[in-house]
Amino acid sequence: MPGDGNQLTERVPDAVPSDEALLVVRAGEGDEDAFEVLVRRHGPTMLQLATRVLGDRADAEDAVQDAFVSAWRKLPEFRRDASFHTWLYRIVTNRCLNRLRARRPAADLDSVPEQAAPEHQASPARAAESRAAADALAKAMAALSPEQRVCWVLREMQGLSYESIAETVGISLQAVRGRVFRARRSLTEAMSAWR
Amino acid sequence: MAMSANRDRPEDSRYEEEDERLDCGRLLTDVWDAWDTGRSSDDPHFADCPHCSAALADLKGLGDAVRRSCAQEPGPPDATAVTARVMDLVRLELRPGRPLPLGEPEEDHWMVEAAVARMLRAAVDGLPGVRAGSCRVTPLDHEDPTGELHVRVEVAASLGVPMRDLADAVRARIAEVADRDIGIRLATTDVLVVDILDPVDSLDVFYEASGHGGYGEGNDGTDTATGDHADGRADGYGTGAAR
Repeated sequence: MPGDGNQLTERVPDAVPSDEALLVVRAGEGDEDAFEVLVRRHGPTMLQLATRVLGDRADAEDAVQDAFVSAWRKLPEFRRDASFHTWLYRIVTNRCLNRLRARRPAADLDSVPEQAAPEHQASPARAAESRAAADALAKAMAALSPEQRVCWVLREMQGLSYESIAETVGISLQAVRGRVFRARRSLTEAMSAWR
Repeated sequence: MAMSANRDRPEDSRYEEEDERLDCGRLLTDVWDAWDTGRSSDDPHFADCPHCSAALADLKGLGDAVRRSCAQEPGPPDATAVTARVMDLVRLELRPGRPLPLGEPEEDHWMVEAAVARMLRAAVDGLPGVRAGSCRVTPLDHEDPTGELHVRVEVAASLGVPMRDLADAVRARIAEVADRDIGIRLATTDVLVVDILDPVDSLDVFYEASGHGGYGEGNDGTDTATGDHADGRADGYGTGAAR
């Protein structure tokens, strides 16, 4: 489908259940059962985000755990008119960014874990090809700076607009454009070499 | 800490200097922007120009790798283990709130606000068509921490029951549970309807209904007689559009 952009659709959050605001208020007042419902509800989405940003499931679980505990502490100051999902998204993103920054600067490309094969692939040949593409992409992503990687994942895998990324990461629109551009440049070069 | 640690870096403003002018004269950023925004099919140049086509092919190749990579993911990850770990930590740092007096002042028994609020919320949740949100329990007179208490509860309610009746039922239920099940002395209860529940929303997704049903059933006929002020408001602010 040429010409419709790169088939990205802006991430549309699932409809917010009408009890969400009540649960957030309750959790802010110290009701840990209400908080548990929120963790269960948002956990999978946040884990997916962190896994994509960090490229490592165990690391992602640690980041998400830190983020939720931090959210529990900050909830009493949470503004009611804000979106809990967006607020959480921001906390998780920042935890991931800090983890990427704490990693050794020169990532050992061979250390990127190979992806496990899911069971729903159509044909073995196509499955192998897809897995190879995913591995090549994971290796190429490991060469990005933490800042580039976060912005690029939010844009290309999570489907956020540049404006949403700027708000989530807390930087200017211009900085987001720059980071996504540099990431794309680096990744297209790496991937065209792979193909 | 991390929230304010991000800011623009000096190199962020200079990326345009790294932009590449293709041999046809177009800037790489413009070509990619056109693709992003779906404008690349409006301009016949892109299809005809080998340089732009190559730049777009690179981007499409990357997009294809992204889609394959995401398709490799076995669906939304299971967050059960993370949830359990989070809740273990959260239960180590509860926020119990202030101690509130149980029984008569001279008894010197206390219960923390979070525990009282939990019981009151559960009582409200047990009524049909209503869910409790914020529930604050404070001394009526802040100079007298052993004196009577004030409850301010926010609820979301289904349409269909007159709001005044609903507020009365909530207030009566709170008075009953405060007196009979908890043993705190309530002076006043404010009820604020802050939102309307979706009709399809399950009211009891996580707290089982406690089996108290129906309005106007009398609740032993003593429901509003325990010192409640009749000043509870059902002003319904923000109804329907609170999110």
